[in-house]
This record gives sequence, structure tokens and C-alpha cells, in this order.
Amino acid sequence: MPAALDISAYPPDGMEMRLIERFTTLKYKRVLEVGCGDGRLTFQYAPTAASVLAFDPDRASIEEALDEQAWLKIRNVDFRLGSIEHLPARGAPFDVVLFSWSL
Amino acid sequence: MVHALRRAGQRLRPGGILISIRPHRTWRPLVSIVTPSRRVSVARLINSAFDSRLSAAEAALARVVEDGQFTLAGIRNHRYRARLDNPSQVRTYLELINPPRPRFPAGRRAHLFELWGSRPRGSHIEIEESIVVTALRRP
Repeated sequence: MPAALDISAYPPDGMEMRLIERFTTLKYKRVLEVGCGDGRLTFQYAPTAASVLAFDPDRASIEEALDEQAWLKIRNVDFRLGSIEHLPARGAPFDVVLFSWSL
Repeated sequence: MVHALRRAGQRLRPGGILISIRPHRTWRPLVSIVTPSRRVSVARLINSAFDSRLSAAEAALARVVEDGQFTLAGIRNHRYRARLDNPSQVRTYLELINPPRPRFPAGRRAHLFELWGSRPRGSHIEIEESIVVTALRRP
């Protein structure tokens, strides 16, 4: 039953990006994503971002994200297991912070 | 949540944008049966455990603006619909949501089955979800 595979409570691909782009573009930006899950949103903007640091506390989700990252050959995303508490207080500044379904 | 926003703000450049995407707190998911001629509302899903988190998120966003760490750049609300072929897919839809999951109010799932049993040919089920996007700017 192929239709069942399309069932999702999340917005269709592209909708969140259109809403985000009403405020800022992510192109060529350094992005911090908090609560990235399996990278569902991350992979929509990462190909045009400068770099992405993406956190999620769920190990299984991060492992899925890493698998998909390898398959998509996207190299500018650093997926990390953890929460924003694991973000060093100092370091290069980000242009955009995304709390995607995580606040 | 305030701490998380402050922590993020520490690493955001001046003029940078913080975006929060989350379910709308009051526009709860609406389940409807859509026939070829009309839309019949069945239930608004409830999720009391999650509602308190959404209230806390809103309060945290307001707090960091009040504190002067951010300014409000804007808020956008948006709705979208998921089309489902039958009540079994409604169950799957709900199971795919990370806990705490929404649920039907008492008696409304039975109402869905009742209406679905007498549906006209060509009907389907829709769940309308609502999200809110809040953008804050670091001064």
C-alpha cells in the first residue's frame, strides 16, 4: 500500500522554507538548527547554506540523519547528538538559529 | 526554554535571526470527512500535555524580547492539510507523531467511524494542521 508511506503530520516539503524565507534567506548562511530530528528540514536548505550545525537529543534520529547525509553526499552539515546545552558558549557566530519543532 | 534561547543568542551574530517553528497553540488539528460535495468536521484533536509546552515556548519567546536580548521580527501562522484514504491511515498518522501525541476527544473517534461508514463514494479524510513561525532578531 504505497500511499501509507506518504503519511506525515509534518508540513509538505518546501512549506516551512517558504515561511522562513519571509524573514531571512538561508543561502550562504551559517545555520544552527536545534532539534533537527532525522534531518527532514535540514536537507531542504543545507545544499545552499554555507554550513549547518544540527543538534538532536534522539540517537536514532541522528543516526538516520547521518545515513541520509551519506547517501545525499551533503558535506556541509555537522550532525551532533545532544541538545543546545552541548553547544560551546564561544565560537564563530551563526547567522541564523532554527528551533524546528523543538521549543 | 528561556535558557535555550539565551544560549542560542550568545552564538548568534548581531542582526542575526532566530526562528521558532512549532504547532499553533490554539488552532488544534481538525479532522474532517470530505465528500464530493461538502466538508464535515468530525473533531479537533486534543493534546493537553503538549499544550503546556507550547504555552511555555510562547512565554519564553516573549521573555527574551522583554529582556532586550532579541527584538520581534515577525510572526506568521499557516495551515496545511494531510489527505488520508481511510480511518486506518488516521491511526498511522497519529502514531507517526512524536509523543505526546494528540488524540480524539471522548466519543469522537467513534463518530468518525460512524460517518465514514455512511460516506458517499469519492470521500476522503483530511487533517488540518496549523503552525506558527516566530522570528526574533538579535540587536
